[in-house]
Amino acid sequence: MKTKADLSINFCGIKFDNPFCLSSSPVSNHAEMCARAFDAGWGGIVYKTLGLEKSFKVVMPSPRLSVLNYMDKRFVGLQNAEQITDQPIKDNIRDIAWLKKNYPNKVLISSIMGYTDEDWIELAKMSEDAGADMLELNFSCPQMAHPSAGHRTGQDFHAVATFTEVVKKATKLPVMAKMTPNITDMIPVALAAKDGGADAISAINTIKAITDIDINNFTPLPNIHGHSSATGFSGPSVKPVALRFVSDLYNSKPLQLPISAVGGIETWIDALHFLLLGATNLQVTTGILRYGYRIVEDMIEGLGDYMIERNIISLDEIIGKAAQKLTDPSNFETRYQVVSVIDEEKCIGCGQCFISCHDGANQAIKFDPAKRKASVDEERCVGCLLCKHVCPVWDCVSYKEVDTQVVKHAAIF
Amino acid sequence: MKKPVDPGKIGQFESMRQPLDLQAAIKESNRCLLCFDAPCSTGCPAGTDPAKFIRQIKFYNYKGAARTIRNNNILGSVCAHICPAEKLCEKACSVKALEDPINIGGLQRFASEYGKTTAIEPLEKSLKNHGKIAVIGGGPAGISCASALAKLDYEVVIFEKESHAGGVPKWNIPEFRLPEEALAYDVKNLLDQGVEIRFKSAIETDDAVTNLLKDGYEAVFISSGLSVPFTLGLLDGFTNAMDYISFLRKVKYDRGSIILKGKNVAIIGGGSVAIDSALSAKAAGAGKVYLISLEHLNELPADQEEIYLARLMNIIFKAGSQITGVNVHEKIISGLTGIEIDWIDPGKFIPQNARPISGTEFKINVDLVVQAIGTKPGNEVLKFSQSLKTKGKGIVEVNDNFETGIPGVFAGGDVVNGGATVVQAVGEGKKAAQSIDHFIKNRRNSL
Repeated sequence: MKTKADLSINFCGIKFDNPFCLSSSPVSNHAEMCARAFDAGWGGIVYKTLGLEKSFKVVMPSPRLSVLNYMDKRFVGLQNAEQITDQPIKDNIRDIAWLKKNYPNKVLISSIMGYTDEDWIELAKMSEDAGADMLELNFSCPQMAHPSAGHRTGQDFHAVATFTEVVKKATKLPVMAKMTPNITDMIPVALAAKDGGADAISAINTIKAITDIDINNFTPLPNIHGHSSATGFSGPSVKPVALRFVSDLYNSKPLQLPISAVGGIETWIDALHFLLLGATNLQVTTGILRYGYRIVEDMIEGLGDYMIERNIISLDEIIGKAAQKLTDPSNFETRYQVVSVIDEEKCIGCGQCFISCHDGANQAIKFDPAKRKASVDEERCVGCLLCKHVCPVWDCVSYKEVDTQVVKHAAIF
Repeated sequence: MKKPVDPGKIGQFESMRQPLDLQAAIKESNRCLLCFDAPCSTGCPAGTDPAKFIRQIKFYNYKGAARTIRNNNILGSVCAHICPAEKLCEKACSVKALEDPINIGGLQRFASEYGKTTAIEPLEKSLKNHGKIAVIGGGPAGISCASALAKLDYEVVIFEKESHAGGVPKWNIPEFRLPEEALAYDVKNLLDQGVEIRFKSAIETDDAVTNLLKDGYEAVFISSGLSVPFTLGLLDGFTNAMDYISFLRKVKYDRGSIILKGKNVAIIGGGSVAIDSALSAKAAGAGKVYLISLEHLNELPADQEEIYLARLMNIIFKAGSQITGVNVHEKIISGLTGIEIDWIDPGKFIPQNARPISGTEFKINVDLVVQAIGTKPGNEVLKFSQSLKTKGKGIVEVNDNFETGIPGVFAGGDVVNGGATVVQAVGEGKKAAQSIDHFIKNRRNSL
């Protein structure tokens, strides 16, 4: 019995074996690395952003990474001061051509960053000639050492529209514009890209952030010879922000462009979250930095099993399914109220729920010191479920609806 | 983190350890470092590839983990329960340099049971278009070889003398260590591959192997195991002196026929089967249970966990002791006399090297004596073929490719290694299958 799911997608008219791609970063630095990624099973690659050294010579700062740890959990987020490629353009173009020759059925997307109209046109044409399937316009690198590139462009609607337009005129390739999250509302920028002719939007690039400070010499990290900067933050910690922007893009009525999602994807469940909020294509870097290309095996197998279990024939059936459930908080049905239910058998008597509710909610947990058991005072419980989230026993706290017509509920007065 | 053993479960002949639940498995898999060139995987004789299935659990790919185990080790569920992981994969674990090694056995059981309860797709059926192969004996080595050959699309027939497959794990490993359903699941997976098992089909006629080769089988794999237990001469002829093979089988499947409640039982031996015999006796209600071994406590072949279990069940160790005589009452043994020993030549654990220490003589009253001092192959092995070479206690001689020297005849498992772990037998069965495949392909190419 063959039980292989079909994970293929059509994104901007291009077929991908699966939606999982490397995003433009050190993981897609050169042909040898990209070849190994294809061999590992990735459906596509966004090659490390190309630039023209004649316009701006990139030199990478060092050291250029810092991580966010949470207690004993390491690498919950990563900060980088990486620039676009520092390799000569001719080497990169040669690598792209080699990859397309040796992996004709895999998708190769060329990420480009120019500083003038002429730069964008030149990079677009060189990529097309080398055989790239698609272009990604990097409007979003948050730490480019050039004064008029990266996310500075991405915050300028006019520049986004103009550069997209010159690229679209210069090539026949589908064009995707990569958005910066360092902005309050992404929609106007995405619409500017659409006005310029963009075929798709990718989001998010990294978030400007500071992860750590050396408290002995007062220098934020990474300490680049005595200085640092708020630079691009990525990994599992940014996934909630990325999900929000992706759903904004998907739910925008005037936009209606396919989305390539980036931001904290490591597992098939992360991937599924982005698909459910409207992404068609998915990109990964930080997960690979941490664990290597091999993680795609579990994304493919896990998502495939999910599809088989639910008889999902094509990923198109589920794209955006959860985005439809998002609404403005003013629309919430507040007659619906719940209270927590603690399973006394499962309660191990640690009292974490008591402390959190006592100091952070509505003092609705009672704690019996003799029995060492927690219970819910339903008259005081406002149903916030803080207790459920702090409980170390995953299935100890649940909740039930209360009929607010009959029972007095603490949230309604 | 390992789940603690529940001694009450041993007494009920039920799995003595709770499985890891989903949350515990997630937590444990997240301690794994996902090493490069993972030493745990290199450390598994069967090539089960724990590094891969732990990674799959960590990334929520539970079915993938179950598939990895089953594809690499057809007795993956059995091994999850009984493998001495602390001597193999867990011993090699890199985390050991920092803290407790990963509970690989626990994760293997979790993933394997996950695959079973979510009914992952059956293994692919052999196309049976590559030729026919006979396997003699449906124990771990035979099952493993048959499964690997079925994957290569051979038609495989296992000749099994008993009414069930499984060999030692089936008959001689108590339920509290290996629940019946774990083996049943692994055997079901084998049958899904289209392997035929002929039960009650002992191969014991003269030149049976030669005849199988004449009957259309392109190769034969001998995995008939060890069936003849060693016994002590001074216990011969007494009805209340048994060997561990009969004892463990009786306690497992015919408990009514052997009354142990309140009886004193002496087990002779210091290995895993001796401990299993002692635990089984205790679980069946025996009173005092003694474990008498030449080896001292720190020299016992049984592993640390087994010794811990024996202590948990109040087994009385008479380690570093020798039986010197038998007290007989009305033709049955009523007691044993013994003496403590040390070694003439340190490190050589054989009776000839034991030096009794005077003044340490002891006597214990016993109702039953169980001997767990080793086994050897049965005489049928000598009849398989006149050209079959054996050595030592009658074990079959093979080269590194598990070839016996008779073209087309291979052997593996206990009958070759003299008695080792299930995981070792699985590894040998897999390697032998590769050799058989090469042999058949080479012969075809040369025709």
